[in-house]
Amino acid sequence: MSVKKDNSKDNIYVVGAARTEFGRFDGEDNDLAERGIRGALDDCGISWTDIQFAVGGTNGETKPDNLVSRLGLTGLPFVTVKNGCATGAVALMSARNGLIAEDLDIACVVGYDNHARGAFGASPARYGIGEWYGETGMMVTTSYFALKIQRYLFEHGISERTLGYASAKAFAYAQEHPYAWRRKPVSVAEAMDADMINDPLTRFMFCSPDAGAVSLILARGSRAFDLCETPIRLASVALRGRRPGSFEVFSPWLSPGDRTSPSIDAAKAAFNQAGITPADVQVAQLQDTDSGAEVIHLGETGLADHGDQEAAYRNGDFDIDGRLPVNTDGGLLANGEPVGASGLRQVHEIVRQLQGRADGMQVPGSPRIGFTHVYGAPGISACTVLINEGVQP
Amino acid sequence: MSIEVVDSTLFMSVEPVALAGSVCRVCNSHVFPSMGSCPTCSSVDVTKIALPTMGTIWSWTTQHFPPKAPFRTDEFAPFSIGYVDLGPVIVEGWLVGKTHWVIGESVRLTLAKAWTHEGSPVYTYGFEALER
Repeated sequence: MSVKKDNSKDNIYVVGAARTEFGRFDGEDNDLAERGIRGALDDCGISWTDIQFAVGGTNGETKPDNLVSRLGLTGLPFVTVKNGCATGAVALMSARNGLIAEDLDIACVVGYDNHARGAFGASPARYGIGEWYGETGMMVTTSYFALKIQRYLFEHGISERTLGYASAKAFAYAQEHPYAWRRKPVSVAEAMDADMINDPLTRFMFCSPDAGAVSLILARGSRAFDLCETPIRLASVALRGRRPGSFEVFSPWLSPGDRTSPSIDAAKAAFNQAGITPADVQVAQLQDTDSGAEVIHLGETGLADHGDQEAAYRNGDFDIDGRLPVNTDGGLLANGEPVGASGLRQVHEIVRQLQGRADGMQVPGSPRIGFTHVYGAPGISACTVLINEGVQP
Repeated sequence: MSIEVVDSTLFMSVEPVALAGSVCRVCNSHVFPSMGSCPTCSSVDVTKIALPTMGTIWSWTTQHFPPKAPFRTDEFAPFSIGYVDLGPVIVEGWLVGKTHWVIGESVRLTLAKAWTHEGSPVYTYGFEALER
């Protein structure tokens, strides 16, 4: 099917992108963020003084807009975003909206975090729950992921081995990706036999918090083609929150009956806005905070039919030469989770794949359409559709 | 001598044990713990209600490592958590008595010791398998 070719002046393109190596970072958060931004500026050959609008997102304590003190005091508008795991995608959305609403041409987006080992504790009060919930050991994200995939495997007749496939794939991709963190390959058997953390998820099936920064340069309309040989169009970005019936982290109760999900809603909206269907996607990034999440999100986004995932993994559908390579940089499982950066890491990888400049394994056959999906607490999801208009459909 | 619990607002009664949820008079949504409004339809016309004490396992997992603070225990041992379908609502809680469960298994509400405070046991709620 053909994608609506729209030459409107409000088309937004990614013209520059850069990321740091993810892992442990023994320095200041601001150093990390600056590294990302200067890398993105270099990628399209411009300088900070060319930037007219900026958006920064981090889950940490630094104020992203204070980066101007080291980048240059140009007086530009600098929005800051704090949306949990959706921070990167929301920052991207805010930059796109800013360019259009303010009638500007060039924006910079940065997402970064520097989490210590074992970060991501949470207080019940922060989620409006009594202290008892944490005191009795129910305020644990790993148990949430386990409970969710346990139910999903049961409802759709999928075996636990599928979780091993997701893990093995992540580390196989990461082995070839110079910026990933956990790059040692893990076989399906190793993943299945490793220490159980929360049934059915073993220690090779969870991502860990770590450090990283990603920055993108956006350009509006024809300006994009001055700055970049292969600009990638941001065909859509959709953010959705939870509705009754969703199954979110730190939920002492769930409603009986039909399950909803912000991922389903955000994906549907992103596809509609871009004028495409899931079948048109040729390379994707899905939230894989744990192996179960990747399996669930394949179904919720419509990229796979519920229950078909096991056969699809076995068939190599999500490998580099499969029908739909997924998380080709190793995803969250292999890159870890700097909360502010992850949504942008996903876009960075898709942009590189569509430009034919992948840092790791390259999807063959000149893919034209890519898709990203983030999901996180307290029940939000953001999806994007990215298109290389230079490739014929 | 009264039974000490982790949070009294969770219970309609402790002997016999019954959980306190709330129900919306407009849309009949049940929530737990009880709240002052309805997250489904936004109404504030809600009332506290005792939840059913029997249900089936909707999902389960076993916690193999000690959770972070504010987790309290006298001595850590792996324990199970699950979601139990009570009918009008699915409730999260401890699953006590074993560490391997089956979705669909029948369970019953009970009290379980959470920790000891100044020599006295403090209880939380949980669900146990029905005797065969």
